[in-house]
Amino acid sequence: MAGYVLQRLGQMLLTLLAIATLTFFLMHAIPGGPFVSERMLAPEIASALNDKFGLSDPIWLQYLNYLRGIVTFDLGPSFRYPGVTVNQMIADGLPVTLRTGLLAVICVVALGVPMGIVAALNRNKWPDTAVMMLATIGVAIPSYVIATLLLYVFALRLGWVPTFGLDDWRGYILPVLALSGFWVSFVARLARSSLLETFEQDYMTTARAKGLRPGQVLFKHGLRNSLIPVVTVLGPVVANLVTGSFVIEQIFALPGIGRHFVLSITNRDYTAIMGITIFYAALLMVMILIVDLLYVWLDPRIKLQKAAQ
Amino acid sequence: MAPGEILGIVGESGSGKSITCMSILRLLKSNGRIVGGQALFDGQDLMGLDENAMSDLRGNDIGMIFQDPMTSLNPTLSVGEQVIETILRHRPISRAEARKRTIELFELVRIPSAAQRIQSFPHEFSGGMRQRVMIAMALSCDPKLLIADEPTTALDVTIQRQILLLLKQLQTQLGMAVILITHDLGVIAEVTDRIVVMYGGMVMEQGSVAELFARPRHPYTQGLLGSVPDLRDGEHKRLTPIAGTPPDMSQPPAGCPFAPRCVHAMNQCDNAIPPLYEMADAVDQIARCWLHHPEAPRIAGINVTAEEVA
Repeated sequence: MAGYVLQRLGQMLLTLLAIATLTFFLMHAIPGGPFVSERMLAPEIASALNDKFGLSDPIWLQYLNYLRGIVTFDLGPSFRYPGVTVNQMIADGLPVTLRTGLLAVICVVALGVPMGIVAALNRNKWPDTAVMMLATIGVAIPSYVIATLLLYVFALRLGWVPTFGLDDWRGYILPVLALSGFWVSFVARLARSSLLETFEQDYMTTARAKGLRPGQVLFKHGLRNSLIPVVTVLGPVVANLVTGSFVIEQIFALPGIGRHFVLSITNRDYTAIMGITIFYAALLMVMILIVDLLYVWLDPRIKLQKAAQ
Repeated sequence: MAPGEILGIVGESGSGKSITCMSILRLLKSNGRIVGGQALFDGQDLMGLDENAMSDLRGNDIGMIFQDPMTSLNPTLSVGEQVIETILRHRPISRAEARKRTIELFELVRIPSAAQRIQSFPHEFSGGMRQRVMIAMALSCDPKLLIADEPTTALDVTIQRQILLLLKQLQTQLGMAVILITHDLGVIAEVTDRIVVMYGGMVMEQGSVAELFARPRHPYTQGLLGSVPDLRDGEHKRLTPIAGTPPDMSQPPAGCPFAPRCVHAMNQCDNAIPPLYEMADAVDQIARCWLHHPEAPRIAGINVTAEEVA
C-alpha cells in the first residue's frame, strides 16, 4: 500500500513536470505578453519591465528559472497585479473556493446518491419520473442559467438570501446549489442506472434468498457494488468543484480562484497561468489517487500491486 | 414432499423448473409475477405470507442453492461474512458464535483450512469451492427444505460429481428434504427418490425413480430418456432427440404444450390441456397425457398395461 502510494506520487511528479513544460511553451506561443496592451508603454519602460521579470532572457533560461521556482513552491510574482505573488493569489482565493466547492461536493453526494436510490427503488413509478425529470433538467441547463434563475426567484423576488457575497451562511446557498446542480443530476442518473444493473445480479437474488431484510440487501449488497462508477466520477468532480468556477464566481461576486483561471490567460499573466494550472493538475491527480485507493476498499477484486504493473 | 425426501425436477431448458422454485420462495425478478396458486409449506401457504414472514422463512426453513456459483456470491464481501450474515439474520447469537458456526459449516462441506478460508473473497475460490460456500450458506440455519437449482450445471464434470455426492451425503446426515432441479437424468437416477418431469410450466409426469425409469408413461418422458446416451450399448445406436423446441410460454398454447412435438399427438391434444391421470398399475405414478383417457387409442409402451400385453 505505502509502496504503491509512493510509486504513484513519483508518477504524479513526472506528469506534473510534463504539464508544466507543455503549458509553459504553449503559453509563450500565444501572441502578446503581460505588458502588451492597447495603451502602448514606452519602449524603454517595456524593456525595463521585461528585464525585471526575466522576460528578455532566452526562453530555455526562463523555463529553467521557472522550474527552480516550482521546486521551492515559489510560483513567482503576478505580472498583472503589482506586488502580489501567485502563491498569495491562490492563498487569498482558495479558502472561499474551497468552502463553496466542498459544500457543493457534499451536496453532490448527499443529494445525488439518495436521489438515485429513490429513483431505482421506485423504477417507472412517480418518484423515479420526478427524480429523472429533475436530473435531466439539471444536466441540460447550464449552471449560469440555474444561477440566474435562483438569484431572480430567491434573492430578488423572495429576498430570502443575499444577491451576492458570503457575509453569512445564507450567502452560500445559491452558489453551492448552482455549482452542484449539474453534478447532483449527473450522479443521480449514474447511481440509478448502476443500482438497477446491480439489482439484476445473481448475488442480489442470493441475498434475498438468505432472508436478509430489504435494507441489508440494498445497503450491504446493492449499494457498495453500484457505487464504483459513482466514485469514479466523484474524483474529478471534487477537483473540478474545489477549484471553483469562473461563471459562478462572477455571478455571485465571490472572491475565489476560479476567475483567475480565465483572467490570467486574457491578461497573459504568465506566472498566474502556470501557477493555477499546476495547482489544478496536482489537485486532480491527488483526487484520482484517492479514487484509486477507494476502489480497493470497495471492491476486493482490485489489487493495487496488479494495477501498478 | 415428505421430510428427508429427495425430489428431482427434470425438463428441458425453459420448461419452468427454475421459475417454479423461484416462485416458491417468491424470488421472481421484476419481470415475473405470481398470478395464482398455492405453495404449502408445513401447512402454510407461502403465497399468502406477508413479505416479512416470507423473509423470516427464506434461508431459515428453506435454503436455496443456485446454478452459477461464479455470480451468486457477492464479490465485495468475504465468503465467511456472507454465511455469517445469514446466521445472524435468523439466529439470536453473537457474531463470534456465528463465526464459529460458519467454520463448522465450511468443514462440513469440506472446504480445506476452513478457519483461514472464511476471510477469502469469492474471486479467490474455484467454481466448486464457491458452490460449497453456497451450500454452507443454504445449510447455515438447518433448513427443513433445500432447493438446489441446477447446482452442478456450471461446474466441470469431475467437480459435478463431488458436489452431488456431497449434497446427497449432507441430506442423509442432516435429514432435510431436497428439491433438486436438473436436466441431467443421470444425476436424477443416482440421488433422487421421486421425479417430477416438467414441460411448458406444467407437471407432465411424476413418480418414483424406479417406476418412472422402468416405465415412463408420457411421450415426453420417453423422449427425454431416449435422448440419453447409454454407454453399455455396444451397437452405438444414434441418439434420438426430441424434434422441435419448447413453446413460448408468454403465449401458452390452448392444448397440451408438448402436442406440437409429440409423435402420438391427436386432435384432442390441441384442444385441451390433459389432466393428470393416475396409473392403475403403479404405486404413485401420474401422467398428464390424453393417451391415458379410457377412450384413447392403445399405444404400446404408453397405455397398454402388462396384463394386456400378456
